[in-house]
Amino acid sequence: MRLKKTFFLVMFFAFASTSIFSQDYDFDIPEEEAKIEFNGNLDAKWGLLQTQKSSPFFGLQFYDVAEKENYLSQYRLDFYLNGTYRHKQVGFFMKTFYQYAKEQALSPSFFELYGSLNFSPRLSLSIGKRLFNWGKGYAFNPVGYVNAEKDPENPDLALAGKTSVYINYNRSFTSNFLQNFSVGAVLLPPEAKINDRFASADKIAGALKFYFLLKNIDIDLMAAFKKDEPRRLGLNFSTNLRENLEIHAEFSYAQDELKYLVNDELISQHKKNGGSYLLGLRYLNQFNTTLIAEYYHNNSGLSKNEFTSYVNYLDNSLESNNPAEINSAKLNMTTTFRSKTLMQDYLYLKLSQPEPFSWLYFSISVFTIYNLADKSFLVSPQLSYKPYTNFEVLLWQFLFFGKEDTEYGSKQFRKKIEIWMRFYF
Amino acid sequence: MHKNKFSYFMIFFFISSISWAQESATNNTKGNEILKKVDENLMPVSYESYRKLINEEPDGSKKEFIFYTVKKGKDKVAMLYVSPASEKGRATLRLGDNMWLYIPNVGRPIRITSMQSVVGGVFNNADIMRLDYSVEYDAEIMEQNDSGYILDLKAKTQTVAYDKLKMWVDKKNTMVTKVECYAASGTFIKTLEFKNVKNFGDGIKRPAVIETSSPLYKGYRSVMIYSKMKLKKFPDEVFTLDYLSRLGELR
Repeated sequence: MRLKKTFFLVMFFAFASTSIFSQDYDFDIPEEEAKIEFNGNLDAKWGLLQTQKSSPFFGLQFYDVAEKENYLSQYRLDFYLNGTYRHKQVGFFMKTFYQYAKEQALSPSFFELYGSLNFSPRLSLSIGKRLFNWGKGYAFNPVGYVNAEKDPENPDLALAGKTSVYINYNRSFTSNFLQNFSVGAVLLPPEAKINDRFASADKIAGALKFYFLLKNIDIDLMAAFKKDEPRRLGLNFSTNLRENLEIHAEFSYAQDELKYLVNDELISQHKKNGGSYLLGLRYLNQFNTTLIAEYYHNNSGLSKNEFTSYVNYLDNSLESNNPAEINSAKLNMTTTFRSKTLMQDYLYLKLSQPEPFSWLYFSISVFTIYNLADKSFLVSPQLSYKPYTNFEVLLWQFLFFGKEDTEYGSKQFRKKIEIWMRFYF
Repeated sequence: MHKNKFSYFMIFFFISSISWAQESATNNTKGNEILKKVDENLMPVSYESYRKLINEEPDGSKKEFIFYTVKKGKDKVAMLYVSPASEKGRATLRLGDNMWLYIPNVGRPIRITSMQSVVGGVFNNADIMRLDYSVEYDAEIMEQNDSGYILDLKAKTQTVAYDKLKMWVDKKNTMVTKVECYAASGTFIKTLEFKNVKNFGDGIKRPAVIETSSPLYKGYRSVMIYSKMKLKKFPDEVFTLDYLSRLGELR
């Protein structure tokens, strides 16, 4: 009897423990909510450049090179790796850039590296290095107060962002008049120069942008301020006039904007009030040809005579053969006068045509930047070929025209031709 | 006597004009009613879906894109490129007549027009981000028989991609089967054919395939295939420029 009882007890516990363990072995597979994604591209580039030895820009850039050649070649590998992590309202974003030109250790440049928190569909916050692109212009952005400086010769090139704290509020309305409103505030701390870790809190820059979608017109109002720097106020708009025609414009007013001039071989600083502006359009015709046209006036840009004085200053520094003068001119060339739009008035025109003459996978385009003050210009035809998914070949030529003392006529190179192979992953 | 004849003629003319106008108005009203029903059957009020777009080139080779699309109401559409890698992260938004394209590298949305094509091939932006037909067009019945209607659609504004459409509608289920698109000049631009009626669940039954060809793109053919179409509600702020870079959060 006792044995029977023991047997039942053992069987009971064995059964109970089995069912407990069997419960432990059952589990639900949690749904994968967090999403980590990587993508990017590799650009392999080779270029052939015809030098312009008479140009002071060439003379200064290649001053230390003993033998100055008529043609130079350039080989580069540009590698972009982007990463995104998203989990519910939280996100982390990274855009890195590596450039290989010769055998040496590569270190990444972080074009973007920031975290974001979306409190709701209306309110979001981000902290870190982030790219902003204010303005409606394709080649130029006078209201791009927080933008990285765009290169009008390649406006689509990926650029480095800025370290910032960014908060944005966005609201939609069911109205035929005001359809959407948003306000974004950006705080930009200065570069950490104190012990390479700290920056003066006094010099934090701020910028505000209000956006309105008003009667089918995009309108932005923006302002930027920083201690000891000019205050800027801007306005831009864009709208579609027809099913194939878009127009856009930007206007920026700056108070005490700095303008640098060369007078008697000395660089002087002037303060100037006034406006920079841009007028543009994008038009598609029945043959599928797209035209982008933009006129840009740069308030702090140099006039024809001012540019000639600057070129003369570089020429004279070079002719002096004095290393101190040459280094100083070289430094000014790459800092004070490094802007891609150094002068006052430019016209940008771009025509592009996909699959011309029924050439499958090809597209052609040509753009010109015309300096209205000194009548110098750049012409750049481009041929693109995309035979396979995620692969592209680009053949790209740059031709510079103008007299020796003009902006495009005085470039280091007379002609450039580049071939790019681009792989996406 | 002559005066009487003239009076009778005027009365007859007046009455027939009124009845013709009434008939025309009735025809117009009925056309618009059918068009609204066509819209209801094609697109639920608020939904998400995946679409594969295949561009077939004259040499027979194919290029494929996959989009994640969300739509709310009659005139709000947003679309995220899921593949291929070269296009991934791009996003487009349409609010009524307004269209924008967001390219991650550029970092801001730019305005695009309905006649452009961001993916190449025969479909243009207006086809890929189509609104309800009744938002953009007024309809009139051109012909009808036992099996269907042929509607004549006229654009309400100049910013609409096609000035005129000719639409074939199946009478049995009020489903569109074919659309011909014409420019303001009368030039025939393209044909859209709606095929493979499929039950997506949630009460959504509609053509899963749209094929297009055009005399302006000889040898090219484009196909759009719908998948995973589901009813889903979205806040209005999803359909804004600020949200374009965040569309991936909805997937």
